Amino acid sequence: MSVHDFWTPFSLYPFLNSLFIGISLASIFFIAALGLTIIYGAMGVINMAHGEFIMLGAYTTYVFQQFLGFPFLLCLPVAFIMLAIFGLIVERGLIRTLYQRPLDTLLATWGLSLILIQTIRLIFGGEPKYVGVPGWLDFQIEANFIHLSGVRLFIIIFAVIIGAVTWFLMYKTTMGIRIRAVMQDKEMAASFGIDSNRIYSITFAYGAGLAGVAGALFGALKTLFPDMGAGYIVEAFLVVVVGGIGLVGSMFSAGILGELSSIFSYFTNDTFARFILFTLIVVFLRFRPQGLISEGATRR
Amino acid sequence: MLELSNVTSYYGKTPIIQNISFTLEKGQCLCVLGRNGVGKTTLLQTIMGLTTSMTGSLKINGSDYSKKPTHIRSHAGLGYVPQGRRILGKFSVRENIVLGTFARDDKDNTLPSSCLKLFPYLAENLDKRAGLLSGGQQQQLAVARALATDPLVLLLDEPTEGIQPNIVEDIQNTLHHLNKDMGMTLILTEQHIKIAKQLADMFIIMDIGKAVAQGPIDQLTDELVHEHLTI
Repeated sequence: MSVHDFWTPFSLYPFLNSLFIGISLASIFFIAALGLTIIYGAMGVINMAHGEFIMLGAYTTYVFQQFLGFPFLLCLPVAFIMLAIFGLIVERGLIRTLYQRPLDTLLATWGLSLILIQTIRLIFGGEPKYVGVPGWLDFQIEANFIHLSGVRLFIIIFAVIIGAVTWFLMYKTTMGIRIRAVMQDKEMAASFGIDSNRIYSITFAYGAGLAGVAGALFGALKTLFPDMGAGYIVEAFLVVVVGGIGLVGSMFSAGILGELSSIFSYFTNDTFARFILFTLIVVFLRFRPQGLISEGATRR
Repeated sequence: MLELSNVTSYYGKTPIIQNISFTLEKGQCLCVLGRNGVGKTTLLQTIMGLTTSMTGSLKINGSDYSKKPTHIRSHAGLGYVPQGRRILGKFSVRENIVLGTFARDDKDNTLPSSCLKLFPYLAENLDKRAGLLSGGQQQQLAVARALATDPLVLLLDEPTEGIQPNIVEDIQNTLHHLNKDMGMTLILTEQHIKIAKQLADMFIIMDIGKAVAQGPIDQLTDELVHEHLTI
């Protein structure tokens, strides 16, 4: 194998296109990680089933679209609501009994992820399913150095929208102050009338709902498998560990990881790009274990 | 107003304070005295419901709150200024005070003008990040935040600890105003006997988790101070 098989020399337009693909990747990273970082930041719970929550969002979209005839746009809020309700049940039934026991929470949510994969496999089988892309998203942008599908553009726009909505909820509402107060100092929050259990329920439900929306969006991009969540959970964890706890850190982290991943892929290939990226993350965490920006009290 | 009867408090299974009893009427000020590590902070944390568990009875306005969690006690009218202030450093001054309003039952989350009048510096710096305030300003913020709860009883844990002398005087004047002019019930832990004598109606001296002396402040004799408080 020669160097040229492995190394792509610099060329302006393809490189600029890779930067644009980086934005698309960043939006996917961000959407996948948002629910996870909110749950982790507010509750200290590492939800190993987050990828499977994304998978459930995708299958929810598939069911409502294929069997009930819902249009794709309507499936997005439906996936949010269904997963939020599911998240609420999981928090009340499972997570709540395991607070202050992070290892048990890790194991329990991992176990839950296996149950969810097998349940979906039993119901829908192992063969791939597809979420129909609406006609108005079935286009390609081909201009100068930009080559981008309508679905990817839609995901970029949607990432901005749910980022903005989440920012508004967290920083401009009294509920956001409550959630951030619990993130910073649970005892002090309780001393000022905040019921942290209620905040945990709301936060977990919101985080699960965001995973549902992520699943609905990713369903339009890729085929659906019962174990499709495994890929997304890795990306989500990368964003959280690099970004630190909180919305702003996740946004920056997703942007940086998406662009780096795309640039490394341009110069080498996807596999080697991942190797470089993971190595850089390990080095980065050696010097900044709390991540880029941490809004919580401490890395738990 | 606030009644503790044979209260014992635990961290895990270990009792930290034992058999504390007192009754506090509206407008009274109780000062909890004692050397470092005798359980003063734990007593206030116990009243707030922040320790692992407690036995005995804790009544607010005649209703039993012994088994109630912290946020319910806060809604019942307990305002808390913890040791070391524990203001939320990543919040703005405004957000810290709004946090206090969440304990109010009237659901009014607007900044109470009475708090802002007491602390003009805070009123002029509402959007400043609280973590950037000086120690004295943070203490003022901690008091303002607790007052925003519209408390029946205000608990202050060493409010003058580590504060520069001119701010200590401000805080002392504020507490005097709240207690004597506005009739607010106060419990404070304090190392300074002089401040305790100026503010308090009653005292408790603690030693190794127990109340070794208590009564009206005029019974706080030099002998008691020498025996239990001097190092």
